[in-house]
Amino acid sequence: MTLVLGRHEFPDDATLMMAIVNRTPDSFYDKGATWAEDKAFERVALVVEQGAEIVDIGGIKAAPGAEIDEAEERSRVVDFVARVRAAYPSLVISVDTWRASVGAAVCEAGADVLNDAWGGADPELVDVAAEHSVGLVCTHTGGATPRTRPYRIEYDDVVRAAIADTVAYAERAVAAGVARESVVIDPAHDFGKNTFHSLEVTRRLGEMVETGWPVLVSLSNKDFVGETLDMPVGSRLTGTLAATAVCALAGARIYRVHEVVETRQTVDMVWTIAGRRPPARAIRGLQ
Amino acid sequence: MLALLPEYAGLDDPVAELRSACLAAVAWLGRDVEVLADDQGARVGAYLVDATTRSVDEESYLVVANGSARRTEKAPGHLDERSFAFDAGLREWLSGRGSPPDPVLGEELLASLTGFTLMAERVAPWGSPVVDFDDDPFGVQYWVMRWQVR
Repeated sequence: MTLVLGRHEFPDDATLMMAIVNRTPDSFYDKGATWAEDKAFERVALVVEQGAEIVDIGGIKAAPGAEIDEAEERSRVVDFVARVRAAYPSLVISVDTWRASVGAAVCEAGADVLNDAWGGADPELVDVAAEHSVGLVCTHTGGATPRTRPYRIEYDDVVRAAIADTVAYAERAVAAGVARESVVIDPAHDFGKNTFHSLEVTRRLGEMVETGWPVLVSLSNKDFVGETLDMPVGSRLTGTLAATAVCALAGARIYRVHEVVETRQTVDMVWTIAGRRPPARAIRGLQ
Repeated sequence: MLALLPEYAGLDDPVAELRSACLAAVAWLGRDVEVLADDQGARVGAYLVDATTRSVDEESYLVVANGSARRTEKAPGHLDERSFAFDAGLREWLSGRGSPPDPVLGEELLASLTGFTLMAERVAPWGSPVVDFDDDPFGVQYWVMRWQVR
């Protein structure tokens, strides 16, 4: 499906790198490296140079921690979105928020996508997306409360649950007025899932792709990679790229990442193996 | 030169200059073109004929062949120093002078000579050509030459 993300359009066969930009002092991977606004802006400049099509700006870490109220979240992301919008007109700006009020403010500031990582926790977010004609990422969390970790969650079939919830959310968004081509679904690895769930979602990602909705995957350095390989944060790139390759082969369209260059190469390689992208330059044996 | 075929296209064209010269030369031919080549060359010739528009009503031949494929260490057949003299002689012959290439040596040098042999049978003698391309990218000697034979 052709993607329309706010003011930007992408063809059916395009894969997109969504670079994570945290305006947080405590996110698990960067541990506050881009907490200062200028550092976050430098990160945007870097990932744009590396070829990211999307930046995903977040003001609250996903894990439990200090309460961040709406005013604090707005102070972290709204003006920053406006600054990025002014500097990079052709960049897709996504904001990772579950709050409709924050969503409205960042859309006013120039955001193109609302990345609802907590699966519709605020039911009015779809209305904000519709009103501002922006994209919406519909995730599966199994009904988890924002900023909670999974605890003894079980599913009869995690993939069917992820498909049922994300597709229902997507249809609800369309019914609310979000353009069908602006809706993306995300199984949300690790969110409301133990490692076995995330591995199964990865293994069966093709079933989500078959729904016809564009699929986003957020795999980067997550705990399911760490637990699978017994690797701490900081040593999970190889596992992340392996999972990325599996998702790319299945047909995922958007990759939410810390490492843009490595992920782009992995996705391009797999996309080409799958016959969806030509080699960059082929001459070997063809002279 | 299978890299000219659409089924082997990449995002960047490694033979853009050669392709451009080939297409321009084939567009210069008459409407009906007979391709003189071995089987792989025939595929390349068919592509070039299909990719061009020609309107002149004139008997025309498209020869698809090449010189040595052993002109550098990175060449398909690695380096064989005999390539340079072989290709120089072949260039002379294609220019209407000298002797036809030695087919045994040509085979050792991975040259594709079938098209040239067929050309000699059909249109000899020929005069001096217009040379649009003369280079050995990737260690293989290619020419794009045009002859007007009366």
